[in-house]
Amino acid sequence: MDSDDVSKSSLSKYLHEEITPVVMLLCTPLAEQACRKNSLTLVQMLKPFSVSTNIQVPVRTTTDHQPYTLRSFKLRFVSDSDIRQPQQQDIVSSLKEVVSCASDETTYDPQSDPPQLHNLLSMSESEVSPPWFSVFNRNLSQAVSFSEHETFDHPVACLVIVSSSDEHPMSKFGDLLSLDQLPTPLNQGVMDPRMLKHYILLHDKQDNSTEKASKIYAEMKNTLGLNQSRLLCINSNKDEAIKLLENPWICNKTGSVQNHEIARFLSIEDLNEIKELVKDLSSKMIIPYMEQKIRNLNQQVSATRRGFRNQIKNLWWRKGKEDALDNSNGSMYTYSSTESQIRILGDYAFMLRDYELAISNFRLLSTDYKLDKAWKHYAGVQEMMGLSLFMLDQSRKDSEVCLETAFNTYLKLGSSGSKNATRCGLWWAEMLKARGQHKEGADVLFRISCEEPSLHAAVMLEQASYCYLLSNPPMLRKFAFHLVLAGNQYNFSEQRKHAIRTYRSALSVYKESGWSYINDHVNFNIGRWLAFLEMFDASIKNMLGILECSHQPLTTQNLFLKDFLHIVKNMGKKLEISKLQLPSISASSLKVIFEDHRTYASSSAVHVREKIWQSLEENMVPPVNGIKSNWLDSRKIQTPKKYSGNVSMVGEAIKVYFEVKNPLQISLSVSSMSLLCEISAKPTVEGEKKSNTGEIFDTRDQNDCTLEHNQLELSEHNFVLEGGVIKEVQLDVTPQMEGFLKIVGVKWTLSGYVVGYHKFDVDLKKKCKKGKSIVRSQKQNMSFLVVKGLPKLEGCIHQVPKTTYSGDLRPLTFELRNKTKYTVKNMKMKISHPRLLIPGSSGDLDLEFPDCLKKQNSSEDKNIQAEIMHKSGGLLFSFPTTAKINGGENIQWPFWLHTAVSEKISIYISIYYEMENISCDLHYRTLRMLYEIEVKQSCYVLSFFTLEVFFVVSTFIY
Amino acid sequence: MATTACFIIVSRNDIPIYEAEVGSAVKKEDAAHQHQFILHAALDIVQDLAWTTSAMFLKATDRFNDLVVSVYVTAGHILNILMLLHDSRNEDGIKSFFQEVHELYIKILLNPLYLPGSRITSSHFDTKVRALARKYL
Repeated sequence: MDSDDVSKSSLSKYLHEEITPVVMLLCTPLAEQACRKNSLTLVQMLKPFSVSTNIQVPVRTTTDHQPYTLRSFKLRFVSDSDIRQPQQQDIVSSLKEVVSCASDETTYDPQSDPPQLHNLLSMSESEVSPPWFSVFNRNLSQAVSFSEHETFDHPVACLVIVSSSDEHPMSKFGDLLSLDQLPTPLNQGVMDPRMLKHYILLHDKQDNSTEKASKIYAEMKNTLGLNQSRLLCINSNKDEAIKLLENPWICNKTGSVQNHEIARFLSIEDLNEIKELVKDLSSKMIIPYMEQKIRNLNQQVSATRRGFRNQIKNLWWRKGKEDALDNSNGSMYTYSSTESQIRILGDYAFMLRDYELAISNFRLLSTDYKLDKAWKHYAGVQEMMGLSLFMLDQSRKDSEVCLETAFNTYLKLGSSGSKNATRCGLWWAEMLKARGQHKEGADVLFRISCEEPSLHAAVMLEQASYCYLLSNPPMLRKFAFHLVLAGNQYNFSEQRKHAIRTYRSALSVYKESGWSYINDHVNFNIGRWLAFLEMFDASIKNMLGILECSHQPLTTQNLFLKDFLHIVKNMGKKLEISKLQLPSISASSLKVIFEDHRTYASSSAVHVREKIWQSLEENMVPPVNGIKSNWLDSRKIQTPKKYSGNVSMVGEAIKVYFEVKNPLQISLSVSSMSLLCEISAKPTVEGEKKSNTGEIFDTRDQNDCTLEHNQLELSEHNFVLEGGVIKEVQLDVTPQMEGFLKIVGVKWTLSGYVVGYHKFDVDLKKKCKKGKSIVRSQKQNMSFLVVKGLPKLEGCIHQVPKTTYSGDLRPLTFELRNKTKYTVKNMKMKISHPRLLIPGSSGDLDLEFPDCLKKQNSSEDKNIQAEIMHKSGGLLFSFPTTAKINGGENIQWPFWLHTAVSEKISIYISIYYEMENISCDLHYRTLRMLYEIEVKQSCYVLSFFTLEVFFVVSTFIY
Repeated sequence: MATTACFIIVSRNDIPIYEAEVGSAVKKEDAAHQHQFILHAALDIVQDLAWTTSAMFLKATDRFNDLVVSVYVTAGHILNILMLLHDSRNEDGIKSFFQEVHELYIKILLNPLYLPGSRITSSHFDTKVRALARKYL
């Protein structure tokens, strides 16, 4: 990097602006008052013109140096009351204001996406770091201005300003300069009260005639000297305020004062006059004065301190002083001490940009201070050496070492040096940044942040994070980490907007990585802070991602959930969330049970594989398409089905089973869990069905679900799910009208506030096993054609024993109920084990125990056709053709259970029946029943015994 | 044994595949995410450093306050990084720890059912790592 880059760097600009001669303003109250008419103080009035850019002042600091030209020069105007160390509270509050202003200015939309990473990377340095950082840094550095251990803040010149309306203006000049009126540092000998003086007569044209002013001015010229006196006229603008094209004051003053109030009496002439004054002040007076002083001091220093002999002498003298006092606060140096004079020489040389002269003097001084153990002074000198080396852009290493020494020395001083350390660190970091060593700069900023209160630390950390972003290659993870640290500190100092901003930027780095704790922390805090700012929507958006935090310990899970519910509560309305993961619903466990032509007697029968039923029902039911008896059957004979989906009846419940899992360790209370369904009464594609109502119900808008109670009956389920538990839930929907029914998903209420939705996502590729039907895609399984109610038989066998003994014979009563209003006929039955379970004749029911052993009377066999089942084709039993079950009736039939060997048997029974007088797709239904019986071994003791008795008796006879 | 020690194995694309708090200190609430933050940030340094040396054990690469990040880079064709966040100064112990964990990790890799880059869920591995931590750290 050449020196061009150095001069362009922000640090050098800063040094050119801030390490400049101080001009103290002494003025009478009337003079100040004249300025106040423009809503400006005297300092504010002069300030816009403090930089003189188009000057050409040749400077020759020492005789052996080449003269050079200064083209721009800045003065710092400070009123006499401000020449003191600033109050820390003022600084802190002004810094706080900067930060809060910035938080109001940075308009960001919490709903918008956080900044994208590639956008951040493509930004240049100035774009990345917001402008208020430099304001903040400047204010922070000013916390230690007017310190006694550095002289660049000591006034070089003073402007004595007296208003023309003052009485006895000439004596006022003297009064203002009297020693006891001067600020304390000047009185106490910390600062040199001998300085360049310039006398100004401020003439307010509104108040007095010009004659009076010129009279006083003439007197001034006589007594105070021609060059030291000046007449400055202001408020010459009598009419309405002339709109200055660029009012130079407005940008400097903000606040309650209206812009048009500022400088309303100042005309262009006044403005030019002030400009001229400042220009003359710097080029004709201050620079030559400083030049002269440098020359004088340099001569002095050369005479007393330079050269081998002087060095030895100095060392000897210092040694003698060594044990006198270990003076760390350094109050032993007054402005007239040799050390202070060298310091002044160095600082003046620095301000006049003769950095080499400055360095040589600082070097000299640093050894002195070190020997004196005046550490604060030593650090201050090291600091200036570092800066001078930076401005010269020589030996980078040295400048870093100097600043580091200064920084560490300040830190060692403890509380008195910490503010200085901060300033020094800021300069150091700026220097590293200017040289492209962003990573090192970030380290320095991080070190500063450790010493500062949380708000300052936060800003430092944020700056450090941008350093990491700008380093080459960009260190994104460090960037994000420091943003998070900054956000944390912002939160401590209650700057929540900033905290959210930093966390959100950090999120772009952490997104989509497996660092779960990080993601949880960042999202949780963003959510919490947004809730503080009452941006609930955005807050919930962030919170949702972390609710399912099974990896977190119990307390954290509790905290997350509690805060989330709290935010939802504060929102004041029920929150509806699709894809809520609490509890999570496993899609693979989803089972839909419904009855079309196949009906089931018990839930155990439902879970039997369809194949078993099909093989049992073979030959009993008319062939259904899809079932081929053998390959020779041509498929085209099958009539195409009207509707390929599932068929369900009005008034018959469709049951949906699924598993819910609580991913957390804490228990969740789930209430009113029910199915989300859509039912539409529109006709089928074939146009066969006529819709009765013509209304189309769409529950996509879930709020309407409650309106559909007429058409749908939904079961609701309330339960508490303990931590980590998996539970199977059964939900029913009973359509009450014909049409198309689609089961969309499930909804539930979590803890009474949050309504969660889960859609049974359509995953067409994934085939799911169903309890009953052939494998179909899930989507098809979730939609149903609801047809008119059909007769449905319910059946059971009474008193079926769970366990029995082999060889047992007992009667059982088989009962079929028809609860619908239709009549069924033509019933057939198939039993998987016809030797075990034998249908008896209807008469058997009436028999009492002993009678049943009697031989049946043959005369009763006359209506045998009606009373016994016709057995045909292996396992198929047909009920008597006359047997019908009318609506609301039931029939009973006797069965004989005769067990053979010991085993566990599942008896499958399928009953086929047809409807009477119903024209429908379905003209038959089946009822499937399942019984499981365990048969145990029994013994034949009794028969053996009888045989023995027989033998005994027979031998007795013979 | 170190009071604070957080061991992590990072796979390609910065995805952590194994994490364990192996320190003896009582587990604090905010420790977990803090450790992750520090380790994640240290990856920046590791990525630069890993290609400058042929050594696998990179010693202490990064630090945050009094916590030090020691790193061991495996010699795979992809950059797998074993990282340990600790507060002890026992470099030899850490090196041995890393070497033995590396062996365990290779055994995991040899498992045909383990998909490289996926999370290590083996409880056997976990107990072994914890035992090693007790032994060396």
